Amino acid sequence: MMTDLSKVRNIGISAHIDSGKTTLTERILFYTGRIRAIHEVRGKDGVGATMDSMELERERGITIQSAATNCSWDDHNINIIDTPGHVDFTIEVERALRVLDGAVLVLCSVAGVQSQSITVDRQMKRYKVPRVAFVNKCDRSGANPMRVTDQLREKLSHNAVMMQLPLGLEAEHDGVIDLVRMQAASFEGDNGETINWSDIPDHLLVEAEARREVMLDAVSMFSDELMEAILEETVTEDMIHEAVRRGVLSNELTPVFLGSAYKNRGVQLLLDAVVRYLPCPTDIENEAIEFERGGEEIGFVLSNNDEDELVAHAFKLEDGSYGQLTYVRIYQGVLHKGTDIINTRTGKKVKVGRLGRMHADQMEDIESAGAGDIIALFGIDCASGDTFTAGRRISLTSMHVPEPVVSLAIEPADNKAQDKMSKALHRFTREDPTFRASVDPESGDTIIRGMGELHLEVYIERMKREFGAEVTTGAPKVAYRETMTNPVAFNYVHRKQTGGSGQYAKVIGRIEPSDDGQFHFETKVTGGNIPTEYISACQKGFAMCMGEGAFIGAPVQGLKVVLEDGDSHAVDSSDMAFQTACRMAFRDVYAGGNPVVLEPLMMVSVEGPGELQGEVLKTLMQRRGIIVGTTEDEGFVRIDAHVPLSEMFGYANVLRSATAGKAEFTMEFARYAPAPREVAEELRKDYLDQRAKGK
Amino acid sequence: MNVFDKSPLRLLERALNGGLGRGKFGVVLSRPGVGKTSFLIAMAVDHLLQGRKVMHISTKETVEHVRAFYDQLTKAMAEQLGLDNMMQRQLDVERGRHILVYNPETFTLDKLRQSVAFLREDAGFRPDMVIMDGTPRFEYTEDWEIRGICNLAQEMDAEIWTGANLHREGQELDDRGVPRELAWHEENLEVIMSLEPESDHIRLQILKEHDSEKPPSVSLQLDPETRTLRWR
Repeated sequence: MMTDLSKVRNIGISAHIDSGKTTLTERILFYTGRIRAIHEVRGKDGVGATMDSMELERERGITIQSAATNCSWDDHNINIIDTPGHVDFTIEVERALRVLDGAVLVLCSVAGVQSQSITVDRQMKRYKVPRVAFVNKCDRSGANPMRVTDQLREKLSHNAVMMQLPLGLEAEHDGVIDLVRMQAASFEGDNGETINWSDIPDHLLVEAEARREVMLDAVSMFSDELMEAILEETVTEDMIHEAVRRGVLSNELTPVFLGSAYKNRGVQLLLDAVVRYLPCPTDIENEAIEFERGGEEIGFVLSNNDEDELVAHAFKLEDGSYGQLTYVRIYQGVLHKGTDIINTRTGKKVKVGRLGRMHADQMEDIESAGAGDIIALFGIDCASGDTFTAGRRISLTSMHVPEPVVSLAIEPADNKAQDKMSKALHRFTREDPTFRASVDPESGDTIIRGMGELHLEVYIERMKREFGAEVTTGAPKVAYRETMTNPVAFNYVHRKQTGGSGQYAKVIGRIEPSDDGQFHFETKVTGGNIPTEYISACQKGFAMCMGEGAFIGAPVQGLKVVLEDGDSHAVDSSDMAFQTACRMAFRDVYAGGNPVVLEPLMMVSVEGPGELQGEVLKTLMQRRGIIVGTTEDEGFVRIDAHVPLSEMFGYANVLRSATAGKAEFTMEFARYAPAPREVAEELRKDYLDQRAKGK
Repeated sequence: MNVFDKSPLRLLERALNGGLGRGKFGVVLSRPGVGKTSFLIAMAVDHLLQGRKVMHISTKETVEHVRAFYDQLTKAMAEQLGLDNMMQRQLDVERGRHILVYNPETFTLDKLRQSVAFLREDAGFRPDMVIMDGTPRFEYTEDWEIRGICNLAQEMDAEIWTGANLHREGQELDDRGVPRELAWHEENLEVIMSLEPESDHIRLQILKEHDSEKPPSVSLQLDPETRTLRWR
């Protein structure tokens, strides 16, 4: 069973919330014959679009979970990974991006490039995902796809080039002019399923020719053959397609397509573009790490070859009407039904009982799947992010998982809810590495932690709906950190003699703030004053101290420990003695390093009409915001600010009422920064009170 | 002694008789790519680290780019002067700075004035120094526009610095080395300096200093690697 990988596309559809992504996906599934009827997202018919399989998403009109669905177009197999559109779910987006080979960036022809498009685009750049753009909603009043293309160039620095011109806009929007074929396409039939090609209307011919020249100019940069053909006037359609494909694959060109998914205009031509220009699995290099016995990590490139040993990556867990589903992408080798595979994180062997290809919430059983494919496994016990192989210890390059910045205490409403709540938490924490749950040892409360207020809210709601667990919640709390701001020297002797063998260790060195916010350990001990076998115990001792600082009891971050000298005893020294010595040394000098409280700062981008600049600034200043910058263009203003997370709770409502709903914002964790003295003093007082009570 | 007394920028300030001065407009000249933006930002960072406020206007870079530029020069200057407690200082630098980015095609002084007013009234932001990068472009700018910038400097009670390009050839210079299109606006320009690339460094020269007959010479150069100033 060899599939022709050049005919496989693993793509994502990425977009701003209201740019019509779900509608577009729905239409794609319709034209590819996957579904028989078209529903609307916020449907009047109560069925809702097929991709949003979760009830909650339907209600909110946003897509949270990334389901993978399969369809075929022009003899090609397309796997669509539905990527969530809200930044609070960044890890979901990023995980989806990891398994994609290419993406369609959907933009609204009226609203254009909005702050959220910028965030999503930044993530795509991070994972180097080649893109084609689709300017949707050309039937809306105020539609201006040319302006959106300009914004792609200016705001997102894409080398964006229009491959089509609109055949009428707003209510007149009837189709598109294809600048490669130099023909007009209109869409007929109840669902626009019939494409009618005709000559370009006279009144649009001059503009079409001018635009084609611009397009050829941009595209010929990627093909000498095309450049020559232009001079000799022997350009063929295939030459253009080939050049565009090269530009897209090198991430240096973004071809722009147009239409209206809602009005069934242009979707089939977008599918042609996906097949023509977006990469197939072998066009993309994916890397993995192999762990050797000696603990060494060796990077290597995955082959995409069915003949090689299996490497598959679980990127999504889902629990629905089919029970526990695990979505995996196969990077090399073949996965057969009935075989055993190894989860490289746990080392456990699991049996592949059933394999499926998913179409949103309908499923097709399959016998096996090969390299480049995206499929679902049934009832496999694993966490998302795990790697499966036939035995080799391989892991896909670890994805960057941010630490949670906000926490919330939750309490089950009654005894019955307690059980359901634990079940729900167990599942959520495995699905989403940025969602954590723990029990506070002092209060006994269950604490959930995540990346933002909305992030936690969604899980609380899912608990209620999917697990029937009613919970009451406390106020959201910010995850503070602490650190030292001045370097200090330590010189500590740990000595204990109570019968039997004693303990002896001496450590000398210094602790200083590190540049990158990470914990570092360096040793400059010479002459074996501390025998090499105890050095790692020293490192461990200091590392343990970072878990809880003595200033407000928060995790300590951003310190570098340099061990310079020390002393040991032939009989009384041990790992334990050195570890203790280091911990005591740290405790001894920490207060002298002028400890401070760090609070999470969020990068907040607010975008709205220029005249509301002052209102927006006010809301940010009231929240101790540090205004980074203002970008003004075409009557719109984007204000970027760093705002402490503790001040951002409920900001959506504040912004809405301050700007009559005309401004919107996105928020991403930026960094930890020193908190103001009032905040620090209060936290310090609470910490000291707690300690006094505890003792 | 104040750590900032060690900064080579103090020498420049003395040469300029205390600096450009509030309400005044000054220009740094050089060929493209020599380091005007770096030099302007170095002056801004020096102000920011001393607790003064800076507004940075750009028509050629994004907010992120400008910010990265400041971060880089703040770090370089902190190392040069041996500053401590950088985390807090970094926060203060950001608090004291505001970056405004405009589309060069639609930028007008009136728009800038409006943003300045918003920032003053709604964010309580009153800059001591303004850097204008990418605008004005002297070869295309009318006299009244330059006067407009001078007026803005007075209204804001801030010093405004900008850069201007020297071209490789075909440009008429007067005997001080000031191009004609700039000399044209001379009465509105309080200070003119130039950056001249030498074999291993960039030399700073003062071409015009307030009303003095003969501009003072300074022994300062820009390190092309770290983009910081040093004594010669």
